Amino acid sequence: VSERPYAVLHLDELERVETSSGPELRPVRRRLGFGALGVNCWTAHAVGDRVIEEHREPDGPEELYAVVTGRATFTLGDETIDAPPGTLVSAPPGVLRGAIAAEPETTVLALGAPAGEPYVPLSWEEVYAAEGMRRRGDLDGARCTLRELVEACPDQWQGFYNLACFESLAGETDKALDALRRAVELNAEPVREYAADDEDFDSIRTDPRFEEALA
Amino acid sequence: VSLAGSASIDELDAIPVSHGLVWHPIRRRFDIRGFGVNAYTAEEVGGQVVEEHDESRLEHQELYVVLQGRATFTLDGETIDAPAGTFVFVRDPAVTRVAISEEDGTTVLALGGKPGEAFRVSAWEAMFAAIPAARAERWDEAIALHEEALRESPGSAPLLYNLACMEARGRRHLDALVHLRRAVELDPKFGALAARDSDLAAIRREPGFPA
Repeated sequence: VSERPYAVLHLDELERVETSSGPELRPVRRRLGFGALGVNCWTAHAVGDRVIEEHREPDGPEELYAVVTGRATFTLGDETIDAPPGTLVSAPPGVLRGAIAAEPETTVLALGAPAGEPYVPLSWEEVYAAEGMRRRGDLDGARCTLRELVEACPDQWQGFYNLACFESLAGETDKALDALRRAVELNAEPVREYAADDEDFDSIRTDPRFEEALA
Repeated sequence: VSLAGSASIDELDAIPVSHGLVWHPIRRRFDIRGFGVNAYTAEEVGGQVVEEHDESRLEHQELYVVLQGRATFTLDGETIDAPAGTFVFVRDPAVTRVAISEEDGTTVLALGGKPGEAFRVSAWEAMFAAIPAARAERWDEAIALHEEALRESPGSAPLLYNLACMEARGRRHLDALVHLRRAVELDPKFGALAARDSDLAAIRREPGFPA
């Protein structure tokens, strides 16, 4: 979307990005360039599928969810909430929250920003955007997006880890290993766990430097 | 920290504002401090679901989400058909925007904030929240809502002006003069408004009424 003074978009036009946690991410904030708060939709296709990952946001944003289509069953702390369209669920940082689809094609709008400080777009949005590009065959676009991310967020391992994956897929072994080493420096435990059976590294796994990078 | 909980939009307060617009306060309900969020419905088809305004004063970007029904948005003169599921993003705060309900039950969620700055609760929320009390001439209640907001936004000229109006109607003339003078100092346009505002009739002949 260009820097026009305004933009219009329909739910049906939003990209669908598969995620490791189950629901499809439908990026809104990033697509529109909205700078004030986080806004995304999450969609689950079948009854019983997860539509909001169970998680907390310790020291993170205040979050508000709005059920847009279908119906969801939310958990909020110890509470279970039946949530037809038009239901709002407020989840402060630290409170465990999650939701399961109670009807097919359930979509939940998720809003979030921290209290008392400026909103900064979160790095996972870029990681998923890059993943979407890769699935569409735009590996160069994906690598470019993650290079920009690690430059903007040099202390977050997720960006380096995913960049390592995509450099590996692109046959850029040295760049993949550099990114993997940096990811290990930042947070070794999850990087070693994910890298152990990540197919993206198949082309460099036999390189002795791969094991060294994870050591 | 915001409050954990849930509510249907139908269960929220429904405060008629003007031009058929009904405000459903969400941010206030959950005491969300990180961003602005409210819902709007119309009293009937043809009523406003986004009041005509721009965001030049607060410099907010706003995102409107049509949750139910259908609305017609007008953005700087361009008309946009917006069925349920439409996102209308107004990047430029200077854009004049308004939306009209085209179907019964049309509901619009409005999200906003200023990029790069921590969100601050907007003074207009207290002014809207005080409408039912003011219409019922419960002046002490209306004044208390304004005073509470003034503690967060002491430099808000519209809030000070509105507070002065409530105080004038509630026979707190000295307080009204103090707040009116402060509002006019901050934004001289309120001087011209005060000269013809019936809410201020009771204090217009008092010494110190801004010329």
